[in-house]
Amino acid sequence: MSALTLERIAKNYGEVETLKGIDIALESGEFLVLLGSSGCGKSTLLNIIAGLAEPTSGDVRIGDRSVVGVHPKDRDVAMVFQSYALYPNLTVARNIGFGLEMRHVPAAEREKAVREAAALLQIENLLDRKPAQLSGGQRQRVAIGRALVRRPKIFLFDEPLSNLDAKLRMEMRSELKRLHQMLKTTVVYVTHDQIEAMTLATRIAVMRNGVIEQLDRPEAIYNRPATLYVATFVGAPPMNLLSATTTPEGLSIAGLETPLALRHGLEAGRPVTLGIRPEALGLAARETALAFHAELAELTGPELVVTGTVGGQKLVASLPPASGVSPGDRATLFAAPEAFHLFDPATGLRLNRDR
Amino acid sequence: MSSTWLTTRAWLLMLPLLAVMIAVIGWPMAETVRLSFTDAKLVGLTGHFVGLDNYAKILSGSNFRGTLSTTAFFAIVSVGIEMVLGVLAALLLNQQFYGRTLLRALMILPWALPTIVNATLWRLIYNPEYGALNAALTQLGLLGEYRSWLGEPGSAMAALILADCWKNFPLVALIALAALQSVPRDLIAASLVDGASALNRFRFVILPYLAGPLMVALVLRTIEAFKVFDIIWVMTRGGPANSTRTLSILVYQEAFSFGRAGSGASLALIVTLMVTLLALAYGALVRKAAGSAA
Ligand SMILES: Nc1ncnc2c1ncn2[C@@H]1O[C@H](COP(=O)(O)OP(=O)(O)OP(=O)(O)O)[C@@H](O)[C@H]1O
Ligand SMILES: [Mg+2]
Repeated sequence: MSALTLERIAKNYGEVETLKGIDIALESGEFLVLLGSSGCGKSTLLNIIAGLAEPTSGDVRIGDRSVVGVHPKDRDVAMVFQSYALYPNLTVARNIGFGLEMRHVPAAEREKAVREAAALLQIENLLDRKPAQLSGGQRQRVAIGRALVRRPKIFLFDEPLSNLDAKLRMEMRSELKRLHQMLKTTVVYVTHDQIEAMTLATRIAVMRNGVIEQLDRPEAIYNRPATLYVATFVGAPPMNLLSATTTPEGLSIAGLETPLALRHGLEAGRPVTLGIRPEALGLAARETALAFHAELAELTGPELVVTGTVGGQKLVASLPPASGVSPGDRATLFAAPEAFHLFDPATGLRLNRDR
Repeated sequence: MSSTWLTTRAWLLMLPLLAVMIAVIGWPMAETVRLSFTDAKLVGLTGHFVGLDNYAKILSGSNFRGTLSTTAFFAIVSVGIEMVLGVLAALLLNQQFYGRTLLRALMILPWALPTIVNATLWRLIYNPEYGALNAALTQLGLLGEYRSWLGEPGSAMAALILADCWKNFPLVALIALAALQSVPRDLIAASLVDGASALNRFRFVILPYLAGPLMVALVLRTIEAFKVFDIIWVMTRGGPANSTRTLSILVYQEAFSFGRAGSGASLALIVTLMVTLLALAYGALVRKAAGSAA
């Protein structure tokens, strides 16, 4: 039985179509990440699941029950907000137990649940404090604790880590991963941070302008992006895009004399956009590889990010620092055949015949 | 440049202002204090020093105590109603509905009217012969014959309080509305998901953001209500039978109607002292509330 089903969800604010037909079916225990740039409708979708907003059309089912029109408190969901949203006058303990208190759970039982959640999140020593006396990371733990004690069917997170500094964000990310693996709960998690999405998700829904561009496992999103948008949104530095035309044996890249040998299964003479991830590129001395003219080399530590041109088109390659490429160098770059992504320049859709 | 020179220069620059303030505030104040120890009359008698006589007479007299309780009654009831009405209006105007902006603007109007205009307006409404209130109530069949609302001790105070509330609740509503808009949306959403009832949501989510600003409104309004003068002077002059006589009215009567400048001054100083104490107590409360909300 699926834990959460969204069917053709649409949401209009006045004339504006914020969501345009979202379909998602989540199995119990899945960690779904809604990934997309600002304003694409992630929070709106999450609010519709929570019951804080109603869809203009479409159905939301939690378990096998349609919850459209059901009050948020009766949906058996818990939500964690970017701003933590802790009750300013209540102690940490009461904040965590608030959902139970409102549901008239007996005090003893409530206290036990709060202690357990606090132990899990390592905030037992903070239980008597007020939110104002906590750091950002501690507040976020309390907010997570408040969701945990309720043992809801679905956890909803709206960019829970984006107010934290980089180091704390990484810690809390692992913490969330650990909690999910331990509790095996169903999670819907909104973020615009692709690293968070890649590391946490069992599946990622990449959203853009109110539609899902691709809903897939993280490795599929990364290795077989369904659209140009997904291809460039996920990955840093972003995927290189080159204009090319298909030939019977491979690709002719605009500005390059030697065509590239590649089995693509498309008719010859068709214009395509070729995508190659910077990290998929390596130095090689192969005939059919890309002749690269380096213009800028940046050492990030583990990698040497080299920016240059291939046949006049911009290309970025992440190389091992030992490769020693420096500005002005000419080098030959190579990538494995499966690292060549072909897209229709007009529709942005993926053209590779993957298996 | 040395800091002493800076300080000296600062004082020099403020000197003209200081001189004006001393002339228009300091001197009359000092004069009032001096008068309060004399038996001076408004006209004629410059007065002899009588020590604490005036104060003793006032504080032991029944006039003062009666007036003090009238004032307290007026202040507590009208401010109480204004606070409740103001918060309710703010909660209502914070909802999303058609015509909200217009209603918000309209609500400010009574408060924007000068007190004298408001008081005159209400005196017309309460008029025993052609007042709108009498007309409305008789036409609705709620009232048998026209009444003199401001002419009977029982209804005069209620009528005054109604007029004062009508004028002043918008201020409370305005302050509360601004405070309501500072309640984070996420917090309201969280309380909805957590299953808080409307009452609990008010208590745990809204009130923490409302308490500080409301305290300020309470302070402002109580102090104003305690020294109320103009609305009462226009509507009832403290009558009938002194049933609406507040401290400020008493001061006026003492000093100007009865011409007893000396004891009028003592009475004014007593009222000033009481208002000051009230302000100080409230100030401490506000600081405490602000400290706990942060
Ligand atoms: N209550 C509302 N009334 C009108 N428009 C709204 C409302 N809520 C959201 N929108 C619009 O819907 C669109 C999507 O908003 P949403 O908050 O879902 O974006 P998001 O993907 O969560 O963005 P972010 O990453 O910035 O949080 C935005 O263009 C926004 O202006
Ligand atoms: Mg959002």
